[in-house]
Amino acid sequence: MEFYMALAIGVLFTAGVYLILSKSLLRIILGTSLLTHGVHMLLLTMSKLKTGAAPLLGEKADAYIDPVPQALILTSIVISFGVTSLFLVLAYKAYQKLKTDNMEELRGEEHE
Amino acid sequence: MSLSLLHIAVLVPFLFAVIIPVLGRMLRGIHIGWLVLPAPIALFVYFLTCIGNVQRGELIQESIPWIPSLNVDFTVYLDGLSLLFALLISGIGSLVVLYSIFYLEKDEEALGPFYVYLLLFMGAMLGVVLSDNVIVLYGFWELTSLTSFLLIAFWNKRERSLYGALKSMLITVLGGLAMLAGFVLLYVMTGTFSIRDLIAGAGDIADHALFLPSMLLILLGAFTKSAQFPFHIWLPDAMEAPTPVSAYLHSATMVKAGIYLVARFSPLYAGEELWFWLVAGCGLTTLAYASYRAIKQTDLKGMLAFSTISQLGLIMSLLGLGSAAAFYNGGAESLIYTKATMAAMLHLVNHAVFKGMLFMMVGIVDHETGTRDIRKLGGLMRLMPITFTVALIGTFSMAGLPPFGGFLSKEMFFTAMLNITKLELLNMQTLGVLFPIIAWLASICTFVYCMLLLFRTFTGRGNVSNLHRKPHEAPFGMLASPIMLAALAVVFGLFPNILSYTIIEPAMAAIHPSMLAEGAKFRVSIDFWHGWTMEIYMTIGVIAIGALLYKLQSRTVLLNRPLFTAPSLNGMYNAGLRMMDKGSNRMTRTYMTGSLRHYVIYIFVFLLVAVGMTLSKQSGIIFDFSAFAPMSLYEGIILAGMIAAVIAIPFSQSRMLSILLTGTAGYLVTLFFVIFRAPDLALTQMIVETVSVALFLLCFYHLPKLKKEDAKPRFKAVNLLVALGVGTVMTVVALAASSDRPFEPIANYFIEESYHLAGGKNIVNVILVDFRGFDTMLEIVVLCIASFAIYSLIKLKLPGEETDSSALIKRSLLAQGLWSEPRSNDVILKTVAKPAIFIILLFSIYLFFAGHNNPGGGFIGGLMTSAALVLMAMAFGLDTFARLIPINFRVFTAIGISIAFLTGMGSFLFDVPFLTHTFGHFDLPLLGSIELATATLFDLGVYINVVGITMTIITTIGRDR
Amino acid sequence: MNNMLVLPLLLPLCTAAILLVLKNQITLQRWISAVSVLINIVITAMIVLQVKDDGIQTLHMGGWLPPYGIVFVADMLAALLVLVTMLVTFFCLLYAFTSIGEERERHYFYPFVQFLLAGVSGSFLTGDLFNLFVCFEVMLISSYALIVLGGTKDQLQESIKYMLINILSSALFVASVAYLYGAVGTLNMAHLSVRIAEAGQGGILNVIAMLFMVVFSLKAGLFLFFWLPGSYRVPPPAVMALFGALLSKVGLYALIRTFTLIFYSDTAATHTWLAAMGGITMVLGAIGALAYQDIRKIINYNVIISVGFIAFGLAVMSKESLDGAVFYLLHDMLAKSLLFILGGIIIGLTGTHRLDEMGGLIKRYPAVSWMLFIAVLAVAGIPPLSGFTGKLLIIEGGFTEQRYWLAAISLASSLIVMYSLIRIFMKACWGEEKGTYIESPTGRRSDWLAALPAACLTIIVIVMGLGSEWVYSFVSVAGETLIDPSIYIEAVLKG
Repeated sequence: MEFYMALAIGVLFTAGVYLILSKSLLRIILGTSLLTHGVHMLLLTMSKLKTGAAPLLGEKADAYIDPVPQALILTSIVISFGVTSLFLVLAYKAYQKLKTDNMEELRGEEHE
Repeated sequence: MSLSLLHIAVLVPFLFAVIIPVLGRMLRGIHIGWLVLPAPIALFVYFLTCIGNVQRGELIQESIPWIPSLNVDFTVYLDGLSLLFALLISGIGSLVVLYSIFYLEKDEEALGPFYVYLLLFMGAMLGVVLSDNVIVLYGFWELTSLTSFLLIAFWNKRERSLYGALKSMLITVLGGLAMLAGFVLLYVMTGTFSIRDLIAGAGDIADHALFLPSMLLILLGAFTKSAQFPFHIWLPDAMEAPTPVSAYLHSATMVKAGIYLVARFSPLYAGEELWFWLVAGCGLTTLAYASYRAIKQTDLKGMLAFSTISQLGLIMSLLGLGSAAAFYNGGAESLIYTKATMAAMLHLVNHAVFKGMLFMMVGIVDHETGTRDIRKLGGLMRLMPITFTVALIGTFSMAGLPPFGGFLSKEMFFTAMLNITKLELLNMQTLGVLFPIIAWLASICTFVYCMLLLFRTFTGRGNVSNLHRKPHEAPFGMLASPIMLAALAVVFGLFPNILSYTIIEPAMAAIHPSMLAEGAKFRVSIDFWHGWTMEIYMTIGVIAIGALLYKLQSRTVLLNRPLFTAPSLNGMYNAGLRMMDKGSNRMTRTYMTGSLRHYVIYIFVFLLVAVGMTLSKQSGIIFDFSAFAPMSLYEGIILAGMIAAVIAIPFSQSRMLSILLTGTAGYLVTLFFVIFRAPDLALTQMIVETVSVALFLLCFYHLPKLKKEDAKPRFKAVNLLVALGVGTVMTVVALAASSDRPFEPIANYFIEESYHLAGGKNIVNVILVDFRGFDTMLEIVVLCIASFAIYSLIKLKLPGEETDSSALIKRSLLAQGLWSEPRSNDVILKTVAKPAIFIILLFSIYLFFAGHNNPGGGFIGGLMTSAALVLMAMAFGLDTFARLIPINFRVFTAIGISIAFLTGMGSFLFDVPFLTHTFGHFDLPLLGSIELATATLFDLGVYINVVGITMTIITTIGRDR
Repeated sequence: MNNMLVLPLLLPLCTAAILLVLKNQITLQRWISAVSVLINIVITAMIVLQVKDDGIQTLHMGGWLPPYGIVFVADMLAALLVLVTMLVTFFCLLYAFTSIGEERERHYFYPFVQFLLAGVSGSFLTGDLFNLFVCFEVMLISSYALIVLGGTKDQLQESIKYMLINILSSALFVASVAYLYGAVGTLNMAHLSVRIAEAGQGGILNVIAMLFMVVFSLKAGLFLFFWLPGSYRVPPPAVMALFGALLSKVGLYALIRTFTLIFYSDTAATHTWLAAMGGITMVLGAIGALAYQDIRKIINYNVIISVGFIAFGLAVMSKESLDGAVFYLLHDMLAKSLLFILGGIIIGLTGTHRLDEMGGLIKRYPAVSWMLFIAVLAVAGIPPLSGFTGKLLIIEGGFTEQRYWLAAISLASSLIVMYSLIRIFMKACWGEEKGTYIESPTGRRSDWLAALPAACLTIIVIVMGLGSEWVYSFVSVAGETLIDPSIYIEAVLKG
C-alpha cells in the first residue's frame, strides 16, 4: 500500500508543481492546495499503515495506528486552511486592482 | 593594565574633537583653530620629553584590555620608530593648524567639522604608530582613511571633491582589508596580535605556508596607503582637499603610514628575497615614474602630489635596500646596508619639512592669486619676497642641493644605491647596476620639477595683470609656519647631528633589532662634507643635466605632455567603476526577472540538484517494501480515481471544473483518512474542503474565464520536466524513508497514557488539546491572524490609492446570496433553513463535547456552527442576520483566543508548566455523561475562535462591493 | 520547568488579543504595544542571565516530558536572539509611530506586529521540530498581513510572490518533517539528534538533511534569495526594518540549529553545500548591492550579503567561526534595523527612494547624516563598531580551517558593502540639496521622534562594539552549546 501511496503522492506533487508553474493565478492556487494534499498523504503514509485500529480507546482494540501523524495532519490542515483563504482573498483583491490574473504580467519594476 | 600617559596622548585629540564643537559654539568670537592648537603643541612637547628615555632604550609599553578573550588589547608602545612618527604627526600638526587658522576664513568655511576631522585624524594617526596590537592598529588605520575621506570631500558640493574622496577611500580601504587579512594570517600562524611578540617569534614562522601570503597582503596595505605605483592614482585627486589638509595628511603623515608599516614589519620579513625585491623595486619604480610625471603637471598642487608620490617611493626603496642587511645577520657587511635605513629615516624627516612648507607656499600663492595654474603664474618674486624665499629653500632642499637637509639625505640615498651593487646575493652584481642608474635619472627629474615649481611661479615676466586680484605678500600668521619649516630645513642641513642620535638612531634600532648587541648603537653621525666621492659627482651630474632639461622643458613634448593617454591607470579605475555599476545592474537583472515562475523554477531546480546529488552519493539507501501493507481493490479504485482527478486538472479549461476537480481530489483524500483509521481527519478535511471550495467560488467567480494557457511548447516542457522531477524525488524519498526504520515511533506512549493521564479516549484529540495543545493554540492563532488579515486587506483603502471596482462587475454567487435585501423567491429556503439551522447547531455542540473521547472537538464543532450561521445569513440576508445576532465577530474571535490563552495561563497559578490540564467527570442533560477537563475549556476557546474567524471571513467578503 | 520561557511568545499573543479589541484607540494601542515589548525586553534579559548562571532553561508544555510533549528550550543562542528581537521590535515600533500612518494603525498594524513577534520568539525557543513549523506559520501569516497591509498595487503584486514562495517552503517543511518522522519516529530536536547519531547520519538521512537545508535557506534567503529584494521593498519602512532585521534571521537560526544539533556529524555531505551557498550568496548579493539606485534595494541586497557571510561562519563549523556567526547575527539584526530606519527617514524626508533624486541632507539633518555614516561603518565591520568582532572571528575561523577563498570573498564583499552604502551617504547627505524636505519646515516633533529610535540603535551599535568583551562572554557560551550538541541534549532529555 505504502508503495502506491508514494506513487499517488508523487502524482499530487507533480500536478501541483506543474500548476504552480502556469501563468493563471487560479491554477497556481489550485496547485498549492494539491501540494498540501500531497503533504498530508505523505504524513499519513509515514505512520505505518493499517497496523491497528483507529486511535480511539473506545474501540478496545489491542493495537492502534500511530496517532501522531494524524494530529500533525490536523494541525497542518487547519493552518493551510487559514493560509489558503488569505491567499484567495489576496488573489481576488489583486485581480480587482491589477486587472490581470496572469502572473507573467506581474513582474514588477525590477527594471531600472 | 592602566591608562598611561601614552594612552592619554592618543586620546587627547579625540577628546578635543568632542569638546571643540561645544566650545566653538560658546566662544563665537574667535577662530576655532586657536582652541585646537594647544592639542598638537602639548603632544609635541610631550613626545620631545620622551626622546631621552627612548635614546636610553627605556621603551614605554602600556596596555588596556579591550577584547582580551580574542587577544585584542589597546596596547601602546613607544620606541624610536614610533617616536619619530609621533613627533612628525604632532609637530607638523601644530604648524598646519596654525597655518590653517589664517588660511580658512572664519565666516566662510564650516570650521567646526574641519577641525573635528583633523583632530580625529591626528588621534587615529597617533594610534597607528603607537599601538602594538595589529587589530587596534588596523582600526586606527581605517579611521585615518575615513577622516581623509571626509577631509577630501570637505567642499562636498564639488563633484571633483566627491570623486577624489571616494577614490582615495576605495583604494585605501581595499588595502586596509588586505592588511587585516595579513594580520589574521599571522595570528593563525602565531596566535598573537602583538607586533612585539610577532617579531620576537619571527624565526619560527619563516617557512610556514602562510608566511608569504601574509607578507604580500600586508605590503598591499602599505603600498595602497603610501600611494606606491600602481596604487598612487588616488593621491593627485586627493588634492581637492583644502591645502592644509594636503600638507598634513597627503604629504607629511598619512601617506607615510605605509612607510611606517613596512619599517615596522621589516624585522619580521626582512631576509625574504621577495620582500627586498617588492619594497625596493616598487619604491624605485614609483620614484622614477612619479618624478617624471611631476615634470608635466601644470597645477602646482598636482606637481606636489606627484613629487610626494616619488619621494615616498624613494623612502620605500631605501627601506627595501635596508632590509638587505638581514641577509647577513650582524657583522660589518650588514651595517653597510643599514645605512640605507638611516637614509630613509633622515629623508622621512626632511621630506616632511620641505614638502610641508612647499604645500603651505602653494596655498599662499593660491590664496593670493586665486590660481594654481603654472601657466598663468609668474613673476611673483617681487610681490611676495618672503614666500619666494620659503619656496627657494623648500625646492632646493627637495632637489637635494646644499646646504639644505635634502642634500644630505639625497647623498646618503646615492650611497645606499651604490652599496647595493656590492651585494653578493640575488645576482646583484649584474642587476644591481640598475639601482643607482634609475635613482640618478629620477633625481634629475626631481631637480627639473623643483626648478619648474620655483621659477615658473616666481620669476619670468609676471603676467599678473590677468589674475583676478592683485597679489601681495601674505599676512604674517600665514607665513609663520612655512618660515619655521624653512628654518628647520636649513638647520637640519647644517647641523644634521641634531637628529642623528636623538631620533634617527633609535628609529634604526627599532627597524634592525637583531643587528646590534645589547646596549650597542649604530654609528649615525652625519658629516656634511665627505670628500670628492661618487655621490658628489652624481649630484653635479644631476644639476648639470637637470638645468639643461629645465631649459628644454617648454619645447620638448617628451617633457610637457603625457606620452600616451589611452591606457591610463585612472582610465582603468573609472572604467572599472562604471563597469561595476552598469555591469552589476545588467547581470542582476538577467536572473532577477521578477517573474514568479522563474523564481519557483530556480527553487525546484536547486532542490532537484541538491537532493539528486546527495541521493546519488549515498550508498546506504534501502528500499524494503516487505513491511508494507497490502492494497485492497476499492482502495485501488479510490487511488486511481484521485490520480485521475488530479491529472485532469491541468487540462480542464473551465474555472468551475478545475475548482471542482481539486475539490474532488480533496474529498478522495478524505476517504483515505477514513480507510486509514483517521476519523477526526476525515471529519475535519470534509468540512474544511467544503468551506474552501465555497471560498474558491466566492473569490474566483468574477475572475476571467480560464484562458487556454497560451504558452509555447518549450514553456510547457520545462514546467513538466521540473514538475516530474519534483514528483519523482518525493516518491523516491518517501519509499526510502518508510523502508528503513530502526526506531519505534514515540506513538505508543500516547496510546498508553492518553486515557489515565489526560482523560481522553480519542487519542488524536487528546494529543491536539493536551500533549501537543501548544500547537493547537498557535494553530488557531494562525487562523485568527488570517481572518484579521483578510478583514484589513478588504477594508483598508489608503487615502492616496484610487478605488475602482470596475474590475468587479458581477458579484459572486454567495456574495449575492449574502446581500442585504433577501431575494423574494427564497421563502422555501427560509422555512427549510429554520429547522436545519437548529439541527446543525445542536449537532455541532454535540461534536464539540464528544471531542475528547470520540471524533469531534472544538475545531470541528466551530466549523459546524458557522456552517449553520452561514446558512442563516444566506436565508435571511446579512442585515437581518446582523439584527438577529448582533455580534462583532472580530471581537468574538479575540475572546476565543483569550479564553484559550487564559486556560493555558491558569497553570501559572499552580506553578505547573504552561498549558497543564486537569479533568473530572460530570453529567449533562441530553448529552449524557461527559468528562469536563480544563482541556475542554481550552477547546471552548478554539470553538468560539473558529466561529468568529469563519464568520468574519464570510461576512467581510460577502459585504465587499 | 521555567514558565518564564513561554512569556516571550505568550505576552505578545495576549497583547495582540487586547489590541484586537481596541481597534480605533490608536494612542492606547501604541502605548500598550510599546509597554508590552518593553516588559518583554526585561523578561528576555532575565532569561539570558538565567541561562548564563544556571545553564540551559527548559519548559515542558503541559507538563509532558520530552520527547512526547512540546518543549521550549532557551540555550544562550535562543535567549540572545529573543532578547535582540525584542530590542529591534521596540525600536521599529517607535519608528512606526511616526511613519506608519493612521489608516494602517486602524487596521490592526500593532496586533500583527505582536503576532509576528510571537511567531519569531516561538521559532527561536521551541525544541520541537513540528512546533517550529507552527511557529514559522504564525510568523509568516503575520508577515503576509503586514506586507500587504495598505493594499497598494506594488504591495499586492509582490505579496502574491512572497506568499506563494513561502507556502511552497512550508509545504516542503512539513514534507521533510514527515520524512524525518518516518525515518526516526520522533519530533523533539534533541531526541532526533540522539536517534540520528545512533542510526549514523548517512543514507536517506542526508537526503532529508538536504531537504531541510533547502527549506531553511529559502526562508533565510541563503542562495535562494530571489524573492527577497522585491518583496521586502514594498511595505512601509518600519515593516521593512522588521522583516530585514528579523525574518531572514529566523531562517538562519533554523539553519544553525539544525546543522549544529541534528545533522552535524556528516559535514562533508551537508556543510560543504552551506559553504558554497554562502560564497555564492555573498558574491551575488554584492553585485546586486551595486546594481540599483533604489535605497531600499541597496539595503536589501546588503541583508543578503550578511546572510551569506553568517552561513559561511556556520559552514566552517569551528568554535571560533560559530562564535563569530552568533556575534555577527546579533550585530546584523541591530545594525540592519538601524540602516532600514535611517533609510526610511531619508525616504520620508526626500520623498524619493532613488539616490540620484536626493542630496544635501547633512546641512539640515546633520544628526541623521552622521548616524547613517556610523551605521554604514558598523555594517561594513569597521572597528570598534559592533560589526567587527563577529567578522574577525569568522575570518579567523575560515583561515584556520583553510577556507581561504571564502574568507577572501567575505573580505572583498565587506569592501563592496562599504562602497554600496557609502554611496547612499554621499548621494543623500552631500552635494546640492535635493528632495521634498527643502520646502518642509525642519525640526518638527515627528522628525525628532523618528530620529529617536535611530539614535538609540546607533548608541547600541557603538556600545556593542566597544563592549565586545562583555558581549562575547555571552556569545561564547552560545558557541559552546553549538559546537558540542551533547550539552543541549543533556539539558533537554535529562532536564
